[in-house]
Amino acid sequence: MAKVTIDGQEMEFAEGTRLFDACAEARGEALPHFCYHPDLSVAGVCRLCQVEVEGMPKLTIACNTFVRDGMVVHTRNEKVRKAARQILEMHLVNHPVDCPICDQAGECGLQNQYMTYGLYESEVEQADKVNKAKAEVIGPHVILDKERCVLCSRCVRFCEEVTKTGEMGIFNRGDRAEIGVAPGTELANEYSLNTVDICPVGALTSRDFRFQKRVWMLKSTPGVCPGCATGCNVRIDHEAGRIFRLKPRRNDEVNGPWMCDRGRMVYKDVHDEDRLTTPLLRGEAVAWADVEEDLARLLAFGSVGLAVGSARATLEENFLLKRLAERLGAGEMSGGLRDADRGVGDDILQDADRAPNRRGLEILDLAEHDAVTLAGRIGNASGTILLLGGDPAAAPEVAAALQGKDVVFVGTHAGATAALAQVVLPGAAWAETAGVFVNRQGRLQDFPQAIARPDRARETWRILVERLAAAGEDTPPASLRTVRLLLTEAHGLPDLNSLPAVGSVPAAGGAD
Amino acid sequence: MSFEGLPKGSGNKERTFRESIYLWEVLRGLGVTIGHLVRNILHTDDMPTRQYPEEKHVYSDRFRGRHRLMKREDGAPRCVACQMCSTYCPADCIEIVAAEHPDPAIEKYPASFDIDLLRCVYCGLCEEACPCDAIRLDTGIFEIAADQREKFVVDKEFLLNNETDGTR
Repeated sequence: MAKVTIDGQEMEFAEGTRLFDACAEARGEALPHFCYHPDLSVAGVCRLCQVEVEGMPKLTIACNTFVRDGMVVHTRNEKVRKAARQILEMHLVNHPVDCPICDQAGECGLQNQYMTYGLYESEVEQADKVNKAKAEVIGPHVILDKERCVLCSRCVRFCEEVTKTGEMGIFNRGDRAEIGVAPGTELANEYSLNTVDICPVGALTSRDFRFQKRVWMLKSTPGVCPGCATGCNVRIDHEAGRIFRLKPRRNDEVNGPWMCDRGRMVYKDVHDEDRLTTPLLRGEAVAWADVEEDLARLLAFGSVGLAVGSARATLEENFLLKRLAERLGAGEMSGGLRDADRGVGDDILQDADRAPNRRGLEILDLAEHDAVTLAGRIGNASGTILLLGGDPAAAPEVAAALQGKDVVFVGTHAGATAALAQVVLPGAAWAETAGVFVNRQGRLQDFPQAIARPDRARETWRILVERLAAAGEDTPPASLRTVRLLLTEAHGLPDLNSLPAVGSVPAAGGAD
Repeated sequence: MSFEGLPKGSGNKERTFRESIYLWEVLRGLGVTIGHLVRNILHTDDMPTRQYPEEKHVYSDRFRGRHRLMKREDGAPRCVACQMCSTYCPADCIEIVAAEHPDPAIEKYPASFDIDLLRCVYCGLCEEACPCDAIRLDTGIFEIAADQREKFVVDKEFLLNNETDGTR
């Protein structure tokens, strides 16, 4: 252990702690910085985190210094503040100060630090600034403004150390130095939007989010990415019922601070034009009351032949489907299609399993089937086929087997399944409901509802609870809380209503 | 509840003869009217009635009036759709949709810029917030009338051509 005095406060840190982290702990806030990132190597180029260490002849950068026993550090004295101010002034010499049109404005390191350490009259005329390329498209997701860059090299280090693709670099020298992609290449790796997240200024911005919304107008809700079995923790940024972007939320045991580009785009699904927004009775849009009669007949006791869950539905929804099927005396259950939602994984974050909750089906003992087997089971089942989520009829074998059957579909998107079903009940998409996903590690990850549902769509768990009530269950669960209590009890899970916050989410049985 | 012992209302008061024929009171009222008429004819300058719309009220120089959007030299809106005004607006009456401008030197421009004049409180905070001096409340136009609520939501074209009325 090393005893360090930071701003007069004596604290102990483990050997090998970075002075930067020690100062952050002692101060309660990080030192000003651009280039330091805990998940990347130390570059020490921005020179903003300089602190005074007694005994050292000059100020030293905290990010590249380790704590030593007996160190006496000052982070708030006049000398340090003056240094930060001067360095910041240097960073801003050639900055275009085009905050009004910059998407980073509102979450910009340069803005924040200027408010704390800057506040001076600029000595450089706008006309004297070095001009560089603006609005340069450098990849499918990222747009670069070279004037705004402070050359912190975070994006360069990200592409070298995390994706190991090395597309980016710093070119030229002095005030001509600029960030860019190597000639003839583009920033097209599958994690390119992380460079936008870590860019402390507005040099790298997202093409998808470009000019969509000013960031201070967005509200954020924590969520879990439904894009694959990894279950990256995300922040859903939304306003007035529309999702504008997904950002990764740090969880060192799942995704660290990153997430993939494909995952960031899954929100578009929620606002798809083919969302189911109203109940459909044999293809006709109707009110909820109008489907009641047909549902009473199709979902009467003993009339359900097969209930099919989905790896895209939440743990609660699959649990309620199972409970409903048991209540209705359904002979057969299935977890859905084993081959649906498969893709190519990588060894960074993306999983080949593109469904967010396949491990959840295992917890509920719902076995998945391949298309031929599922089609066979549908063919053999006598009575209504109750389908939950996804689009199982996208598989031609299943679609063929469903022809002529009585089908009730609880889902979110129009498609082959909705077209085949007698009754379609519009449920909530992942951001429109609270729930629990079980990721590939077996971690139970709960998430709250972020946005409102469209038109007449209802929370899927509520639809299933209503069917349970109609099926004669004496005390159907009245809230999601009660559903989770039942689920916890039935499957020996940790209490789903008080899952610990990010970072220490416990694993269900059999976690790796 | 009993009404006994309470004083009788004025309606039950006995009228005098002069009151009961009304004529005297009618003439007294006419006298007041004719008195004002004579006074106004003799002193027309003090008359509070204005001959609107021929004769318009002159407001103080500090009166703001309806908004206008400023133009660049080429006639395009000066606005860069930074949405400072709509952020600052206490009445939440400004709705801007930003879009990519083909000229990278301009980069961002308002595809639409709507102001709901019925919601606006004419406080002028939008022009104070504007970093580009693109919106001004200096037209002095106070005649804001329409026959449908929808017509009070004015768009970019309207605001761009909303010149001052020449009073300043």
